[in-house]
Parts: sequence; C-alpha cells; structure tokens
Amino acid sequence: MPEEQSQTIMAVDELQAIIQRCQILKEADFRGEDFNLFQVAGQKCLEDGYAAQLLEVVQNEKNKVIIKNMGWNLICPLVRCILVYKQEDDKREHCLKILDQLVQLCNAKELFLGLLEQIEQTSGEQVCQTVMLLLQPLQTVLFKLQNKKAYSVGLSLAMIMNQLTPLPVPYTKQQIQEDKLGLCQCCNAVVDFAKPFVNEVVKNMEKSSECNDMELKEELLKFCVKSLKYPLLTAQLEQLESIEEHPFRRFATEIIDILWDMRELIPLVFLHHKGRSPSWENEEFVDIEQKNSADSLACLSYLMFVQYFGIDCFPMVFSPSYLLQCNMTHIEVLLKRTEESVLSKGLDLFESSLLRMEDNSLLHQYLEFSDFITVPQNLVKVMTLCPIEHLRKKSLNILQLFIDKFDAEGKYTLFRCLLKTSNHAGVEGYIVQNIKDQIHLSLTKVCDNSWFTGHHLISLLDLVLLLPEGAETDLLQNSDRIMASLNLLRYLIIKDNEYNNQTGVWTMLAKIEQNFLKPLHVGLNMSKAHYEAEIKNKKENRREAHNSNTVCSVTVSGEKMPAMTTEMQLQVLRSALFTFDLIESVLARVEELIEVKIKAVT
Amino acid sequence: MTAEEMKADGAPLEGVDITPKRDEGVLKVIKREGSRTESPMIGDKVTVHYTGWLLDGTKFDSSLDRRDKFSFDLGKEWPNQNCFENFLNWKKYIHNHFMRFVKNSEDFRQMTPREANSPSWEFTLKCEVIKAWDIAVATMKAGEICRITCKPEYAYGSAGSPPKIPPNATLIFEIELFEFKGEDLTDDEDGGIIRRIRKKGEGYSKPNEGALVEIQFEGRYGDRMFDRRELQFEIGEGDNYDLPHGLEKAIQKMEKLEESVFYLKPNYGFGSAGKEKFHIPPDAELQYEVKLKSFEKAKESWEMNTEEKLEQSCIVKERGTQYFKEGKYKQATLQYKKIVSWLEHESGLSDEDDTKAKSLRLAAHLNLAMCHLKLKEYSQALENCNKALELDSSNEKGLFRRGEAHLAVNDFELARNDFQKVIQFYPSNKAAKVQLVTCQQKIREQHEKEKKMYANMFQRLADKDFKSADTLQTSHPEDAEMKNEQNGVEDKLEVDTET
Repeated sequence: MPEEQSQTIMAVDELQAIIQRCQILKEADFRGEDFNLFQVAGQKCLEDGYAAQLLEVVQNEKNKVIIKNMGWNLICPLVRCILVYKQEDDKREHCLKILDQLVQLCNAKELFLGLLEQIEQTSGEQVCQTVMLLLQPLQTVLFKLQNKKAYSVGLSLAMIMNQLTPLPVPYTKQQIQEDKLGLCQCCNAVVDFAKPFVNEVVKNMEKSSECNDMELKEELLKFCVKSLKYPLLTAQLEQLESIEEHPFRRFATEIIDILWDMRELIPLVFLHHKGRSPSWENEEFVDIEQKNSADSLACLSYLMFVQYFGIDCFPMVFSPSYLLQCNMTHIEVLLKRTEESVLSKGLDLFESSLLRMEDNSLLHQYLEFSDFITVPQNLVKVMTLCPIEHLRKKSLNILQLFIDKFDAEGKYTLFRCLLKTSNHAGVEGYIVQNIKDQIHLSLTKVCDNSWFTGHHLISLLDLVLLLPEGAETDLLQNSDRIMASLNLLRYLIIKDNEYNNQTGVWTMLAKIEQNFLKPLHVGLNMSKAHYEAEIKNKKENRREAHNSNTVCSVTVSGEKMPAMTTEMQLQVLRSALFTFDLIESVLARVEELIEVKIKAVT
Repeated sequence: MTAEEMKADGAPLEGVDITPKRDEGVLKVIKREGSRTESPMIGDKVTVHYTGWLLDGTKFDSSLDRRDKFSFDLGKEWPNQNCFENFLNWKKYIHNHFMRFVKNSEDFRQMTPREANSPSWEFTLKCEVIKAWDIAVATMKAGEICRITCKPEYAYGSAGSPPKIPPNATLIFEIELFEFKGEDLTDDEDGGIIRRIRKKGEGYSKPNEGALVEIQFEGRYGDRMFDRRELQFEIGEGDNYDLPHGLEKAIQKMEKLEESVFYLKPNYGFGSAGKEKFHIPPDAELQYEVKLKSFEKAKESWEMNTEEKLEQSCIVKERGTQYFKEGKYKQATLQYKKIVSWLEHESGLSDEDDTKAKSLRLAAHLNLAMCHLKLKEYSQALENCNKALELDSSNEKGLFRRGEAHLAVNDFELARNDFQKVIQFYPSNKAAKVQLVTCQQKIREQHEKEKKMYANMFQRLADKDFKSADTLQTSHPEDAEMKNEQNGVEDKLEVDTET
C-alpha cells in the first residue's frame, strides 16, 4: 500500500517537475523530450485516478502556454478514462472539465487531429458513446480552425459516418426504443453537430450569388447523401405508435431540411433523371457520387413520395406518369435488394407512384424505357423468391396495379414479356387469368378491343395454349398455368361462337388441339400411371418394412426439412393425383363444349 | 396575388377554353400580355413562376415561395404524328383567335368548334407536367401572365396527388412565362448542342451507339449550306462520313421521323481544326437540320411479333451480306445470329410464314457457316452447316461448306463424303470436284504418312532400347507439315467465296 501511494505521488510529482521546467522556457524552446515526459506523466496521473490534480494543473493560468502546445497529447487517455468512469463519478466530472479546458486552450490543428484519431480508433459498442462525447469539442475546434475548414468538416463527418456504418440499425419498435448501442441518439447528435455549418453555408448563399463556400456545401451534401444510405435506407421509417419522437423520422426530417436549406433537395430528386447536377467545382465528386448515390437517391424518393418528407417544397405540377418514370430507376435499385427494410421501401414507392395514376392511362410507349420492363421482372422475383410472406403478397398486388395502369397495347406487351420471362407457373397462370379478363372486357365493352381479339390475340394465345415441353411437361409443376389456360379456353369457347369468331379461337382450333389438348391427354395418362404405380409401390413397401423407418428427406435452400413418413409421402402422391383429376375434368369439359359447338354448326 | 384577391376577381371559372377537345377542361384568362410574339416549341426548356390554388382558395404550391423559378421541358411526348400536326393547327387556331378574343371575347365564346375548323382531338397528352400546363404554356408568349382553371382530367384526376391535391380537384394556376430556349442536349449542359424540334417523332426509343440510322440532313455555316445528303450509317462511324461528333450525339436523342434543327458550338462541330472539305474555318458554329428517317435498334425477341421478326430478319440478312462483302466477317455473324435467335423457336406460324422463316434460317446458317470458315472457327462452321442441313438435308452450299470445314480440320474422309454428296446431287458443281480431288490426294498422302509413321514407329520401337529421346524429336517436323497443309486449305477457301 505505501509503495503504491508513493508511486502515484510520483506520477503527480513528475508532472509537476516537467511543468516547472517548462514554465520558464519559451514556446519555441520546448523539446520533443518535454512533450514525451508531459504525456507520460499526464497519462499516469489519469490512470492512477489523480484527475483532480491534473485539472488543477490544466487550469493554472501559468501553464497556459504549456497546455496550448502539449495538451492535445492527453486526449487519448482522457477519453479512455471518461468512458470507464461511471456517470456519477466525480473523477468523470474532472475529466470532462479537463477536456473542456483543453478544447479552450490547445492549438486547434493538433487538437483536431487528436480528436479525430480518437474517433478513428474506437470500435464496436463504444462507437456511439465516443462520438457523442467528442462531437461538441470537435465542433468548437472546427470553428477555431484557420484554414482548410471545409475539408476538415468533411473529414470529420466522413470519419464519423464510416465508424457508424458497420453498426446494425434498430428496426423493430422495441429495438428502436431500447437503442442498445445508442445509434438513434448518436445520429441525431451528428445532425446537430452539422447544423451550424449548414447555417454558415446558407448565410453565405444569401449574401452573394457567387458560391464562395462551394467546398463546405459539397462536404455537407456528401454527408446528407451518405446519411440517406446509412442509416435511413435500412431504417424503419413508418410512424410508430407510442413513440413520441421517432428518432429516424426526426433524423430524416433534419437531413431533408439541410438539403432544402442548401437548395439541393429538388436537384437531387431529379439528379438521375435529368443529370441536372449543379455546377460543382469538384468534377471528381460528381462522378464518384453519381455512381455511389443510387441507393441514397432511391431512399430520398421514398422519403418524399411515400413518407411525404419535404413534399411541401416539391413542385405540384408534374404529371403522375412522369413521376412514375422518374421513380422507376429508384424502384429498380430497391427491388434488387433482399433486406426486408429495403424491399418494402421499394414496394411502397412503386405502389404510391402507381396510385397517383388513373387506370388505363399509361401509354404503351413507356415500355420502351428499359426499367418499365426490368422492374416488373424484379417484382416477379420478389413475388416468387422472397421468403417474407407479406412482401410476396404485396408485390402481387402491385403487379396487378401496374398492369391496370397501362393502355390495351401496353397490357398486351407486358403480358407477352411476363409470359416469356417469369419462368414460374404460378405467375404465368396469373397472367393467363389477366388475359382472360381483358378478353372479357373487349368482348363486352365497346372500347378499343383490337389487342384482345383477332390476330393480335391469336399471337398471344400461341404463347398460352400449349404445353411448354409437350407431353413431357411436368404437369404438377405447371398445374397453375395449365388450369388457367384451360379455363381461358373454356371461356373462349363458351363466349365466342364459330359464326362470329371475334377472338379467332375457332380458326386456331386445330393448332390448339395439336399443341395443347393432345399432349395434355398423353401427359395426363403418363403422369397418372406413374403416380398410381408409385402409390402402389409405397403401400407394398410399407407392408414389407413395417417397422423400419424408411423416410425420405427434403432440403429447402440448404435447410433440412422435417423427415417425411411414408404416410405423408402417400398423402402428397394422392394430392398430386387429385390435381390430375381436376385437370382432366376441365379438359373433358372443354372438349365436350368444342364438340357440341362444332356439331351445332355442321 | 392572394386567394382573397383571386376570389374578388369574380368567379374563377371564367376564361377561354384552350383545350384541343373543346371540353372546357382548361380555361385561360390573360392577366398581362406578353412582350414578344413567339411561343415556346415542343421540347423547349421553359422557365416560369407560378402559384397554384385549390378551388376553395387554398394555396398548395408556389415557385415564388420557393424563391426559385421553375423550369421544365414543354410537352414532349406525343402519341403519334397526326396528333402533333393537329397540335400545330390548333396552336395556329388558338393564336388567331386569341388576338380576337383580346379585342372581343364575346366573339370567341360564340364560336362553335366546327367553325373553328378543329380536327378531331382524340388523343391524350403525356409529358413532364400535368396536361393543363402543356396546353396552357404552349399558348403563352414570353412575359405573359395568365391564369388557368384546370379540370381534374387535365390535372391530377380521380387519384389526386397526395398529400396536397385531393381526388377530383379543379386547380387554378397563375403562370408567368419568363423565357424558353431550345433543349440542351449536352451532358454538361454547356449549351454546345441546342435542339429545336420541328416535328415530333414517334415512340420513345432512340438510336443507341452502334444503331444503324438513316437520315436526311442539311448543314449550314452562317447562311451558307455546306452539306446536304441522305445517309445511312452506324452511330459511332460518323467520322468516316464527315459528320461532326456533336451531330452524332444529337441523332442519338432523336425519335423516329423526328425533324429537328441543331445548333452546334465549335467544340461539338469541327472544332479548332475546321473542315477543309466543306471550307469550314476553325471554331465555327454550325447548324444542322436533320430528319431521322428510320433507325434500327436491337429489340428483345419477345417484343417482336412474327411479322416484325420476319421483316427485321430480311433487313439484317441484307446488312450481313453487305458486311461480308466488305470482309467484316465478325460483324456479319452478329447480323446472321440475330435471325437465328429470332426465328429458331418461333412456333405457330402460318404455312406461308413458316416457309419464309425456314428459308431465312437456312440462309442465316449457311452464311454463318461461311463467315466462321473465313474466321477459321471451324467447329462453329460445322455446327451451322449441320443446322442448315437439318432444314434441308441436300443443300448444296451446306454440304459443300461442311466439306470445307471438315477439310480444314483434316477430317479428310468426312470431307470427301460431303463433296461426293454435292457432286451426286449437283453434278455440275466444279468446285466440289476440285475439292474432292484435293481430298482424295490428302487421304492418299495421309495414308502414306501413316505408313511412314508406322514404319518409323516400328523402327523406333526397335530403337527404343537405345535412345528414347530421339523419338520425341522425329515427331516435330510432321506437326509443322500439318500446319502448312491447313494454311493451304485456307488459301483455296478464299477463292471459293459465295453467298
């Protein structure tokens, strides 16, 4: 114990010694050795809990010059101590005071680097704490910097955002409320940190039209663009009940406000579409940012058109089809992702863009824009491959909405495209059903019906009324499509008679027989025989190996599903047979109808 | 102007119907006459200040509040040519009658659409801004201030535009037109290429890099016309045709059948070098008037119907042949491959179309085979010959070219069989006879060589015990000989080209 005490006293003594020596020196006469001794001694004081003594030294008017030159060396141990001490600890209070004092006294340039170094070195759970601790000092120092201020502000913001980016963004209400790592709080603190600089830019913009502050503005814009990507793109931005101030909604509002205040909001919304980028001084920036900003811009559009952030500033004269066209790029970016948070933003943006339009009002020429083709294809992928059920359902609704908005020719082209590209019997069946609805409209209404009757229709039916691989087609896999096609054919035969032949179905009957009905018969017979044999086999096996556990295993995307018992397998086989029976009965009905109608004519 | 003032002005629904349909969907009242006589053209970048109100006086938007003038491109997207011409007539009509209206508004209101000789107006306007705006701004003059009342069908319709515009809302705008200028087509918006559209094109697609375009154009320097041609060329090769690069860039922004005037700054024209051929001095500003007669851009297979596929196939076949004649075999294959991709899996054709499709496919495969022979890609040549022979098992060129392909890879017997078949079906084919002789000669040579080789081999087997290293060396000269033979075949092929 006495040994330890003597050690700590030694630490304070050492500090006093170096201080006393330096007090008599002039600024220019400080040597490297002095810096080292000061740092070691100061650090030791802090580590041994003598913060109060150190505070005294720092506050001493006589030591001003020394602290000014050497104080920044203490930042590192200081930060470490502050993070270790508990909130109510006196020592923490002392440390904070030391930090304050250093910020007041130290050389701005060195202190700036010292603070930045601390932010750079922190990681994991300490990131938010450290950043929040140092934001205030950093801001003060930045205002003191003589030159390269814009660059330094940019560097600080970039460094902070880089450190935050690896942290997971709280998504559920509970996660947001808990804010385990302090990210929600930290993000808003960072915006507050940036605000005085924004005000400076705005003030300068008002003063003169010359953009003398272009550099600072660019740095702040970079920060905003970055924030849109992280955390906003992956954050939950819907209003949540019982959270008074949703931290990310607040953050989003602030970011949009900054953009608006700097008069960059509207140009940014149209950045992709028109290339109307403002005249940047820094060419390089434009190139890099345009490439990397796709996610950010998509998020911005989502904020504006779905959450209505900043919509008050948005000109209310654009046509809905133009807005859809602009948003298509963003929707495509979002739908290509797989995270629930991003996908659902894409779907929401797509939906809201479509809801602004009236049915049948979108001209087919829009399909000449490539994203009007790729987006529905992406949508189909979400519909068929996404593991999250509510997103699958939503995407199906949106597909229907998208179809509804097009004019007849547009619908026609879209159907063709989806039939050829979806590679999914369920989707194909859905499209076939849509075709049937359109034919029905054409036959019952006096509207433009040329696309769903006559020769256009025949060419479309060529894609529908066939078995993709003839009699060898997997009927079970394709059952949705086959049933829908049969239903369509049945509808055509009932609704259109050979005498009128508005749909042209009677002229192509022979081809339908050849490409569809005949192979379907053959396929049904083969499949039924195969499955019946399989059932028989299974039953015999069961009798033979009554107690042995012959089970078959199924893996879905690498995950092993629970083993199937023989009974379950039999059930599956029987339900397959049931499907075949169903197809067969509809097929029989269709053929019967054809026969009756043909007889009636001849 | 405040909402109160606006109401005090009287019923907001007053004004002249300026809709092409004459359905009173957009009513216009001029508040201040413009200073100039010109109105903006389609595609022009138009700059305005505006304020918008709902019928109840709620101001929903104003560029004045944003302290920023609003710019947009005037009504670009017209469904078809007729509509555009209608639009021009209609503008003329509006112009003529507005003059009268200003003098005596009663006159105008009593006129029926029939008297106004308006064509049928069955079209919808689609563009950047709501329909009412396109219609109204096109009638304005620079400096003019007007107020328009827009029915929902010409604004945001039954859907509205949440959160500010409710469903089925009639909107009132006051618009001041400041300026309009031709559209800047450059990437940096430096004013280097300005377009004014004379006649709107069709559709939305535009030629891309590599597209084949057919244009008719006139180039002017000051008052002097220096170039006037009809030209077909591939975008990217304009330099070979004495076209400035700015013009090529401009053409890529044109739609089919569009007619436009382009103003090129020197750095988008002939630059600091000028153009001796046309007596263009350095740093000259140029003006081109261009009509894009047609262009061809690769369409996705599913986008085309049978008719289009057949039509396009004929076109690309021609082009392929052209390339072939110029010795551009690689380009030629790309053309022919298009035909195969379009028609290979096309099912459900009528008999007539089916015959056409088959003959096109046959030609494509035969020509592909020829190109691949030229490019020394023998396995692909073989593959295409086989495909061609699937379609027509006794095709003369198919058999002959397959023979050549076999010959080229030293499959002499297979080659001989093919040439024999050619002669069997077409006894007059001299080239086949020559090749057959070559084959037989080669086969004989091969036999002899084999004999020697085997003889050597026995010798070598005998010598094996002494020096195994020697055997390796003896095989080298033979390899070299084989290569020479291959080259020999190549030379013969050059002579026999035919398509």
